[in-house]
Amino acid sequence: MFGSATTLERALILIVAAFLVFLPSIVRDPYHIHTATMIVYFSFMAASWNFVCGYVGQLSLGHSVFSGVAGYVTVLMFTQMGLSPWIGMLFGGFFAAVLSLAIGFPTFRLKGPYFTLTTIAFAEIMRIWFENTDNFIGIPLKGSEGLVVPLVGDSFWAFQFNEKLPYYYIALALLAIIVIATAIMERSKLGYYLKAIRGDRDGAEALGINPTKYSLIALSISAFFTGIGGAFFAQFFRYINPERNMGIDLSIDMAIMSIIGGQGTVLGPILGSFILHPIAEVARTSLGGSFLGLHLVIYGAVLALTVLYFPQGIIVPLRKLLARISGGDVK
Amino acid sequence: MTQPLLKVDRISKRFGGNQAVKETSFHVNKGEILGLIGPNGAGKTTAFNMIAGYLESDTGDVVFEGVSIKGRKPWDICKAGIGRTFQLSKPFGDLSVRENIMVGGFARSADRKRIASRADEVVDFLDMKDVAEMDALDLTAFDRRKLELGRALATEPKLLLMDEVVAGATPSEATEMVELVKKIRDTGVSILIVEHVMHVIMNLSDRVIVLDFGNLIADGNPHEVVNDPDVMKAYFGEKYVQQSA
Repeated sequence: MFGSATTLERALILIVAAFLVFLPSIVRDPYHIHTATMIVYFSFMAASWNFVCGYVGQLSLGHSVFSGVAGYVTVLMFTQMGLSPWIGMLFGGFFAAVLSLAIGFPTFRLKGPYFTLTTIAFAEIMRIWFENTDNFIGIPLKGSEGLVVPLVGDSFWAFQFNEKLPYYYIALALLAIIVIATAIMERSKLGYYLKAIRGDRDGAEALGINPTKYSLIALSISAFFTGIGGAFFAQFFRYINPERNMGIDLSIDMAIMSIIGGQGTVLGPILGSFILHPIAEVARTSLGGSFLGLHLVIYGAVLALTVLYFPQGIIVPLRKLLARISGGDVK
Repeated sequence: MTQPLLKVDRISKRFGGNQAVKETSFHVNKGEILGLIGPNGAGKTTAFNMIAGYLESDTGDVVFEGVSIKGRKPWDICKAGIGRTFQLSKPFGDLSVRENIMVGGFARSADRKRIASRADEVVDFLDMKDVAEMDALDLTAFDRRKLELGRALATEPKLLLMDEVVAGATPSEATEMVELVKKIRDTGVSILIVEHVMHVIMNLSDRVIVLDFGNLIADGNPHEVVNDPDVMKAYFGEKYVQQSA
């Protein structure tokens, strides 16, 4: 969608990017910075999900397993081996990518609901295993209690900062990376192939495409990024447990934000997160105590409305509107 | 005689109790258009799928350019030089017509410039310049067929398997398609075509083979074949043949 973006769209993207970069000079309240960081984090996670699921047209509801496993790898490498979380994060990402191949190889042969159910099953099995395992061959997983990242104070090496601001900029940098990666992928052979597989799997095979192979390539990249996000989350809260970092809620968030924003586009998932996370946050803070899970009700309502009126995501009518304003053609 | 481009040797396929294709053998010569006809359920598409790698034959062998391709996957068979179209053509959405054709090009090259210019050639060849930048899902049914053909051509096949290319087309569209298929053959591509519309088969084919209940019942030039009593029996039944005799 970068390639076909109108001038107005490009300008708008730049304005939003500049706004995000300079936001902390307008907003100084730590709570607001925290919320902004979470919005950017969810944008990154939704975009990571979209990298495979949006383009290949398969609904994974088990992506949180990559986030969780990579988060654990990062935290454990720090606490057990004294390795910097920056390096642990990459290891975690690779670990998630390898795991994704093991999960994806059997599941990508399945279609539609069968694929979705299998991804849920894998992720839930892993979560339950983590919750019930205190010690695995000498590695202290501490079950459902989770792991705390020991405080070492303001240290770049240890990925720990006294202020919220550095986390915000790290999340923003990660988001920039996934946006660029997705834009490059979309215009590469992989992007064409994924769209072909989504459009007609048999037809794609007849054109020399091995659907499992290319789905797995995209899945492993997606899992790598999701893992990086999971590691970031663990560092941001200095805490990781199976439910928050590996639970199905996170998987659903990633999927729904992408679907509502516009899956299979570079910026759709980010739009989805920018719309949904603030709604959820407001619902949680203003009504959270008395109405637990209200944000999920709102998600459901927004999802239903989007599917009814903008089945390809909110980004589609938005782009049409922008094109009309600038008088250009929409693809 | 020189070696045929494709040699199908005693292939069979059984689905449960249904013997869809039974020990069928035929061949496609280089540069020829071979028509494959037969009543509904005769096993034409099954035979196609066994050549293109979507199904593996229970018996025999499929030999392309002297090499066995039996049991190979569709994407490998595409790379070996066999292209195919389907009865139902589904364009890849969120890609333009030109980009749809480029998808096929990646099978032969990694060079985007070369693929893009090859796609432009194919667009010209199909006379689809006016719709080249359109989202492929917005095409008319006939343009979808042409696009599917274009995608297959972009893989630079030596043999093209075409499944019912004029189904649902208007007479003028059918004529256009016939001309297009001839034009493809003239570029050196051999063609195996399944078709129900008889005048298309008669017009196009250098040779026709007939399948009935999984058996090959005739092989010859189009006019001989349609007057063959076995073929008439297969299509119209025993009585019709007796009456007209």
